[in-house]
Amino acid sequence: MDKLTFGVTMLVVGMGGTLLTLGIISAVIALMKKIFPYKKEEEEKA
Amino acid sequence: MLEAFANGFSGLLAGFLHLQLSNVVMIIVGCVLLYLGIKKDFEPLLLVPIGFGCILVNIPLANLMEPHGFLRTIYDAGIMTELFPLLIFVGIGAMTDFSPVLENPVTFLLGAAGQCGIFLTLGLALALGFTELDAVAIGVIGACDGPTAIYVTAKYAPHLLGAVSVAAYSYMSLVPVIQPPIMRALTTEKERMVVMRATRKSVSKTTRILFPLVITILGGLIAPMGLPLLGTIMLGNLMRECGAVERLTKASANEIANVVTLLLGISIGATMDGKIFLQTQTLIILALGFIAICLDTACGVLLGKVLYVTSKGKINPLIGAAGISAFPMSARVVMKEGQKYNKKNYLLMHAMGANAAGQIGSVIAAAVMLSVLKGMGII
Amino acid sequence: MKIELTSPIPGKIMKVLVGVGDVVNEDDEVMKIESMKMENPVYAPAAGTITAIGVRENDEVEVDDLLLVIEEGG
Repeated sequence: MDKLTFGVTMLVVGMGGTLLTLGIISAVIALMKKIFPYKKEEEEKA
Repeated sequence: MLEAFANGFSGLLAGFLHLQLSNVVMIIVGCVLLYLGIKKDFEPLLLVPIGFGCILVNIPLANLMEPHGFLRTIYDAGIMTELFPLLIFVGIGAMTDFSPVLENPVTFLLGAAGQCGIFLTLGLALALGFTELDAVAIGVIGACDGPTAIYVTAKYAPHLLGAVSVAAYSYMSLVPVIQPPIMRALTTEKERMVVMRATRKSVSKTTRILFPLVITILGGLIAPMGLPLLGTIMLGNLMRECGAVERLTKASANEIANVVTLLLGISIGATMDGKIFLQTQTLIILALGFIAICLDTACGVLLGKVLYVTSKGKINPLIGAAGISAFPMSARVVMKEGQKYNKKNYLLMHAMGANAAGQIGSVIAAAVMLSVLKGMGII
Repeated sequence: MKIELTSPIPGKIMKVLVGVGDVVNEDDEVMKIESMKMENPVYAPAAGTITAIGVRENDEVEVDDLLLVIEEGG
């Protein structure tokens, strides 16, 4: 594989993959916050 | 008798006779690192052991980095096995409160944008003629994260370890100098004045406990090559958030992290042998590392501008600059910069969110990078 | 008109730099809050006289907790 292909692949798949992964994480966390909402009492108990 | 005296005496002079110019230069470099750490307060916890390790390894005939030398033993035990950066990661996880990013999950995206410099710099390094794996190690300086940089470099380009880690740690401490001009250049006065109110607590304890677990499983499945990095930081964080193992959390964040920092620093310093370190290549790596961090900042701010538009002016693009892993320096820079233009603006919590996202982002970026390399059959 | 200054960030009150009856200008520094191990200055929202202070040094504050009240124009 020549260096140009390598560099472009890393940029596209690497950066794209990073963005995608963090996008998924962001969505999952948003979902988790919906399923387990914050309740004031819970924190006071803890 | 006289001859024995002379021979004995020559033993005391041999060190001087074997001293090469490169050693002298590196001893001076070591002293500069010590000066920066001690007098200028640039990451002293790292620069003091690194600087001293650099001096030790450049004293001829002591052979501290030869087989059975004590620095070689530490290096082989902790750096070659990747144990030191991973143990540091357990500590970072135990020290970091990720709740600011959990408050506003969109900021995870800023933590991704802040890694752009890694991949752009990788391309630049390739264009300058570095081999693929060397370019990867140089790019990873853009993760702005010492342990990540050391982990990747020690594994795939160990001959660059000294240069890469010195670049990573010294630029990390220069974040307050490097970032503000880029932030100003890329934003308008109106954008910088956007007030973001601090959000009220909205993250439940359940979410905070599940977060490290979910990230580990999800991230591990996507990028298994980076699981050691992700798994250790998340283990530390789980111990912190669950509250059930306070002793282990404290030990990871204090005792273990301190001991490992010392050993890590001294063995990184030990890679700075004049014969290896003093090459034009090192200067190019230092320059590329600098570019990487500038590009990270620029991409973060640019994504911040996109979010400014999509949120209809509710998100201040400055917080994008905090999407790097230099925690919490970068968030402080953003807070100060924001307050310069609007005294009633407190971006701190939002910047901390982006900054915590940057920590996760840099680990994910390294993990993704390694898995992509694996997929392409390069490693 | 009374203007309330509430805490912009969660943290601990490090210093209260004014007292009841003090006259302040807009953007004068009135308090320091320590948050995330960083010292953050808090500025007066308007010019006037301080009529009440809701916190003491070393108090922990949450977002929107009352810090002080200013009688505007005093």
